[in-house]
Amino acid sequence: MSEEIYYWQALNRAMDTEMAADDSIITLGEDVGLYGGTYRVTEGLMAKYGEWRVRDTPISENSFTGLGVGAAMLGLRPVVEIMTINFALFAIDAIINMAAKIPFMSGGQFPMPLTIRMPGGVARQLGAQHSQRLEHTLMNVPGLRMVVPATPQDAYGQLRQAIHSDDPIIFLEHELLYFSKGVVDETAVAPPIHQAMLRRTGRDMTCIAYSQMVLLALEAAEQLASEGIEMTVIDLRSLSPIDWETCVQSVQQTHHCLIVEEDCRFAGAGAELAATLQERCFYFLDKPIQRVAGLDIPTPFNGKLEAASIPRTKDIIEAARRLVSSAGVQS
Amino acid sequence: MKNPITMPVLSDTMQSGRLTRWNKSVGDPVKKGEAIAEVETDKAILDVEAFSDGYLAGPLAETNSDIPVRQVIGYILDQPAAAEKTGDVVSAQPTVSKKSPASPQPAADTVKNLENLGNSALAYNHDGAASASVQPRSPTLPPSVTSTIAHAAGNISPYARALAEDLGIKLQQISPGPDGQIHASQVLAAAMSAPDVDLQMGPPYQLEKLSSLRAAVARNMTATLHTPTFLISSRIALETMQKNCKAKGLSFTLALGKACALTVAEDPWFNHVWTGQGLAKRQRVDLGIAVDTGEGLITPVLRDAAARPLRELAEDWRILLGKIKKGRIAPQDYQGASFYLSNLGIFPEIERFNALVPTGAAAILAVAAAGQDGKTDFTLSCDHRVIFGADAARFLQRLGKRLEDITWLQ
Repeated sequence: MSEEIYYWQALNRAMDTEMAADDSIITLGEDVGLYGGTYRVTEGLMAKYGEWRVRDTPISENSFTGLGVGAAMLGLRPVVEIMTINFALFAIDAIINMAAKIPFMSGGQFPMPLTIRMPGGVARQLGAQHSQRLEHTLMNVPGLRMVVPATPQDAYGQLRQAIHSDDPIIFLEHELLYFSKGVVDETAVAPPIHQAMLRRTGRDMTCIAYSQMVLLALEAAEQLASEGIEMTVIDLRSLSPIDWETCVQSVQQTHHCLIVEEDCRFAGAGAELAATLQERCFYFLDKPIQRVAGLDIPTPFNGKLEAASIPRTKDIIEAARRLVSSAGVQS
Repeated sequence: MKNPITMPVLSDTMQSGRLTRWNKSVGDPVKKGEAIAEVETDKAILDVEAFSDGYLAGPLAETNSDIPVRQVIGYILDQPAAAEKTGDVVSAQPTVSKKSPASPQPAADTVKNLENLGNSALAYNHDGAASASVQPRSPTLPPSVTSTIAHAAGNISPYARALAEDLGIKLQQISPGPDGQIHASQVLAAAMSAPDVDLQMGPPYQLEKLSSLRAAVARNMTATLHTPTFLISSRIALETMQKNCKAKGLSFTLALGKACALTVAEDPWFNHVWTGQGLAKRQRVDLGIAVDTGEGLITPVLRDAAARPLRELAEDWRILLGKIKKGRIAPQDYQGASFYLSNLGIFPEIERFNALVPTGAAAILAVAAAGQDGKTDFTLSCDHRVIFGADAARFLQRLGKRLEDITWLQ
């Protein structure tokens, strides 16, 4: 039974399926109950499962995330929704000091089956404080895991897997992805939650991306193919841990690697990928690893500036052309 | 708008050109079609024409350097003011990379600036604003500059190095690519090419780069290696024809060429050529005649040599020789012959020789000097994929008759 649905619908179905199967699963956050979630992810759940399991909370991220941590310690499997990743900054103590460390500091006595969902990324002119991509902050916390689904199918599969996991997982959605559509097969066996996937294979170069940027990379790959450049596109799907095997294998075959991230270039996922891949693929690289990334600036509000501050499809295409052409030759 | 001027592709064998001269300097106005630079190709010096009106702008490529085709050698700008700003000729070690890319940008177009800053991590300095003297963390230049000149020469990519080691190729054997660096493709090219000559134990020597002409001949001749060739000879008396030419004031080589063209026209197989896709049957005889320029070999082509009158061909021939003398012969003048003639008759000591069939043709005729018996040796080299022995024998038979009975020349 597969059909084409929105990304938010896929998340909603994953929640519904899991909550129906396991009473210990609860969800909480701002407007998740009566309103059904800012992006409709929890739509209909309160009516179905009641206000005890689907709880509206005050505007106090550290409190309700901390509540989620406590609930997880006591045997529930909470799914905390933070309205946007920007507000997660209020919950940093609960996330970093509590969720990420308690299993370790308790010698494993307290597992942490906690899923913290939140959207991030640059949407459309929401201003610098509402356009952040904080994956570089959260992926750097030992003890946390982080997944970044790009497709409705992955949103569905990875959310279910996250809920099943006994580790704390940051489930990072993207504001522009909620209304993207894709086929979701609810019966399909999902690949391991942290495994990267080849969205397209090509002999000339490897493009590594995640979340929204995967869609841009695929668009770029299509056009590059018409120019005779065959680009492999790897969808990471997870930023912590990263599936190095898939990346290394591909780069060893293509000898050219381009990393695309919407997050700022400095000290983020792209930097980590470039560093580790050069360690592991040094003798296979025919060109320095290239990065296309967001600029290291607060996101401008002006629409044109905003668009220019993060990677666009044409930026990926240009970087790819430079990477595979014999340098110096321009068309 | 800043439009790149690229090294033009002036012939299908041209891989690089030597920029011999800039006719204009940075900032000069240029007109569409105007010759702005001179390039020495495989065999000649040609003009690089401006593709639009505007102003010449740097960085301009250095003169007397070999530049791969399609590489940017300079720019044409719409606006004169901007042209002056971008500076003059850059040397192989660019000073550009020392500049902070942020400083020279006028604030005219903020979006553009953001793009130029691109991934350089400069827009937001993590070291703090006070550290003005600190070098930018990642001094990435705008892409167009990085890819053309910002590389130090002589680097080898890690993969290329590993590949060279696996294939047993010495690094000295590998010539760098267009960017001055060695990538995998250069290693593979070195692996496929002939083994390098080892001169260590021999006399001391100096290395000199091949001239474009010699390099082209070397490439073309090496390309003929895979042609399965056979030779066939005949001795033909040329006395009557020589006398006749002298009386008429006609070039003997040209008359010989005309006789060849007529003979080829009678048996089209000599005008065909083998290609990977099939037999190319040409519809007219284009005759290439080898000429010694003093600096090497060139083969100007007489188009449609069988059908056109000798008078016209003689005029073409005169023009072609003039162009060779001035070093102005263009690819369309010397490429694409369907049959070749090489005449060494002016060297009386040469009794006999044979020639290599150039790619693109099925046969070449080598004509030596007259021997004691008054007859001259004609040796025909043929591509056996196209021409068989009996065909070649009949060809020489017919040619012999034509040269001894010269009614066609009257």
